[in-house]
This record gives sequence, structure tokens and C-alpha cells, in this order.
Amino acid sequence: MNNPTTSPVHEIPDDTLAAIDYCYEQGWTDGLPVVPPERSRVEAMVAMEGRPPETILATHPATGLELSIHAAGVNAVMAGCLPEYFPIIVAAFEAMDKKPFTFHGSSASTGGSAPLLIVSGPVVDEIGMNAGVNLFGPGNRANATIGRAVRLIILNVFKMTPGIADKSTQGHPGKYSFCIAERADANPWPGLNEELDYGPDISCVVTYAGAGFCNVENHGANKPEGILTSMADSMANLGCLTFGQSVIVLSPEHARIIADAGWSKSDVQSYLYENAQRDVAALKDIGKYYAREHEFQKTEEVHRGYGPADILVTVGGGDAGGHSAFIPSWSRGRGSIMQHQAIGVCIDC
Amino acid sequence: MELFDPTAPGQEQVRTRAPALANLDDLTIGLLSNGKAKADVLIRATAQRLINRFGGKYLDVKFKKHASEPASTELLTNLSHECDYLITAAGD
Repeated sequence: MNNPTTSPVHEIPDDTLAAIDYCYEQGWTDGLPVVPPERSRVEAMVAMEGRPPETILATHPATGLELSIHAAGVNAVMAGCLPEYFPIIVAAFEAMDKKPFTFHGSSASTGGSAPLLIVSGPVVDEIGMNAGVNLFGPGNRANATIGRAVRLIILNVFKMTPGIADKSTQGHPGKYSFCIAERADANPWPGLNEELDYGPDISCVVTYAGAGFCNVENHGANKPEGILTSMADSMANLGCLTFGQSVIVLSPEHARIIADAGWSKSDVQSYLYENAQRDVAALKDIGKYYAREHEFQKTEEVHRGYGPADILVTVGGGDAGGHSAFIPSWSRGRGSIMQHQAIGVCIDC
Repeated sequence: MELFDPTAPGQEQVRTRAPALANLDDLTIGLLSNGKAKADVLIRATAQRLINRFGGKYLDVKFKKHASEPASTELLTNLSHECDYLITAAGD
């Protein structure tokens, strides 16, 4: 069991630079330097949780390895998190612990996915997350370190070591950190926290086993159909088309054009599902037609996903630019289904 | 300076192997596909080679619900009653 009272404590000289080197020597890093998980920092992190530190947040479905609040706190310190970020990490692992997420497959597969975290609600501004310019890029401590803490936990606690348990053929840069915030001030539709029935005052995190980022550019369209046809084409290109779910992050510019034409989010999902499709012959030609999966769709063509509800739509990024994003799922079918969890809310107590 | 170890000590996993079969003569072979493309082709072909050499028969291929999930206990328990040994394969 992962018991903080018996977890090994390493006594080393009071030399911070030497401690950073020590962490490398122990194999505790993701390749970048970490903040040494010194006792006072860890205790401050863990104190953000109301539950005992030995509380188990998630269990690896194949190995049985368990993540305790304490171990999560240790890795959050190493990632560079501030204590106020910690409830998001806790919620993310509680979400990924739900069976349909299939934590093992998504962290071990050749598909090389990373858990994408989408944070929605008031916590975004409360802790200073970036929902705007350079959304997926560097520059914001909360986004960068929350995503990094997730990866360090996967490496250190769940032992998903690249080349041993993590067999990603190529992986992708999001495996260092893959955490974004939903941009409320540019979202013409209800936020994900409201859409998922948490309400406007409760924040939530959505977790999604995502493949690499696909930029969808269209600076010329001034109608929803133009923008969304570009998106649907990216979702259904022969390399990306599967029966899996989708995450769509519309830029504020794209979202405004679509919403100003009177389209709801549901309209967007339906349009994308209808248009993100290829005919069976095209897939057979390239050896990528799977009849067993197609039978579930009950459609003549092969669509991406099983229906409009398989497409999560959110808004994020800078004010300028006709650049939105499509994040393909790691799963090619139902192997991993995105999950969500309230942040900082104890459901059972 | 005291550093906490970020690697959670794992639980002791107690795993045991089934006893080895004395021989394969005239046995019934169960087939379990992980559900990916061509896995069923591979295990049927493997089973046929074994039958050509040792006799016996193979059962219809069973499929896991998803390739990335462990096979259900119910599926494995049922197969254990129907076959003498099991071949599984990962396709793609």
C-alpha cells in the first residue's frame, strides 16, 4: 500500500542544486529538472485536501498500483505546482479512475496518447490559468505544471515508463503537459461546467485520452459552414478517421462567427458529425475499414464517432486568428471515453 | 533536507502459473481475440497448425469487449470450462 507514514524519505544535504541532480539520479523526472519534493512543500500541497493523505484517488486497472493523495502531492511539488492547483490534479485522477476511461490502455498503447485536461469554471481565473493566447503553448505556470504533474504521476506512481510499460510508437509533445482552460469570456455558449450539470459556480475538469494536436486554419470563411467544413474535413481525413470521440477547441474568432449566425453548440456538434465522414470504398481502398465497428453506427458512410454527442466543443485561444484545434482520440472506438469530475467538491462527505 | 520518494511502493502482486499440460494430444483449444483487426485470423491459423500436429479441435473465437481492457472474469471462467487451453492474440 502507498502509505505516507511508511513511504521512503531520502535524507540528503541541504543543497538545492544537488537535490535536483539527486532527483535525476533516482530516475524521478520526465527529462526536465524537477522541484525537489522537500517535506514542507509536500505538506503544504497535501494540506489542500480535506481527506487523509493515504486516501486512494486512483488504481491502475492492470497492475493494481494505487495513487494516494500524498503521492499525488509529492509529484505535484516536483512538477512546480502551487498548492492551489492541487484540487485539479486530484479531480483529474478521480475522473481517469472511472472505468470507461480505460487508464491502462490509454497510458500504455502504441497510440501514444496523453490525458488532455480541460478546466472549466471559476477556478480558471481564481488560480490564473491561461485560456487565451498561446493556449496550448508555454508561459503559464498553472497550465504547464498541472499537466506536468499528471505525467509525473503516470511515470513515478503508475510506473508507465517509456519503452517498458509505455509503448508509444511516437508519443507527442502533450506527454510532457497537456492542460488547458476553457475561455469563458469568449464562449458564446454555456461553459462545460454548466453543460455537464455542475452549475456556473462549480468548476470541473474533463479528461480525454488525446492524440496529437491538429491545427484547423480557416481565415477566409465568414459563415459557420465554411469553418465547420474545414474542421469536419480534418476530423475525417484518412489518417485521423476512426470511430472514436473528438475534442474541438474553437478559437474566439471562429466561435463568434458561428454563434453570430445563430448556431447553438448542439448545431455545431450535429454539423460536424454529419460532415466528418468518408465512404466505405475509400476506407476499403486503404485497408482501414472495420465492419464490426461500422455496424454500430447504422449509417451508410463511416462517420467519426457514434453520434454528435461524441464531439466535445469548447472555446479557447487568443482573440486574433482563424486557428482552431481538433484533438483526435487515442481510442479508435469505445476503448476510452472522456470523463469529468467536479474540482474541490467532495461528493460523498 | 528530507525528500519524499515520489514512487509509491506497489502492493505485492501474488501471481501463480497454471500447471503445464503434459501433452497437447486431442485437446480442445479456446480462442480469444483482443478484438483488433486480424487477431482472429492469426489465432485460427495457429490453432489449425496445432490440430494438424496433435489432433483435437478449436472453439469459436471469443472477442474481448475492448482491446485495451482486461478480459472479463466471466468470459475467462466460461472458457476455462469449455477448453483445455487457450490461445490469445493481439492484432493490428
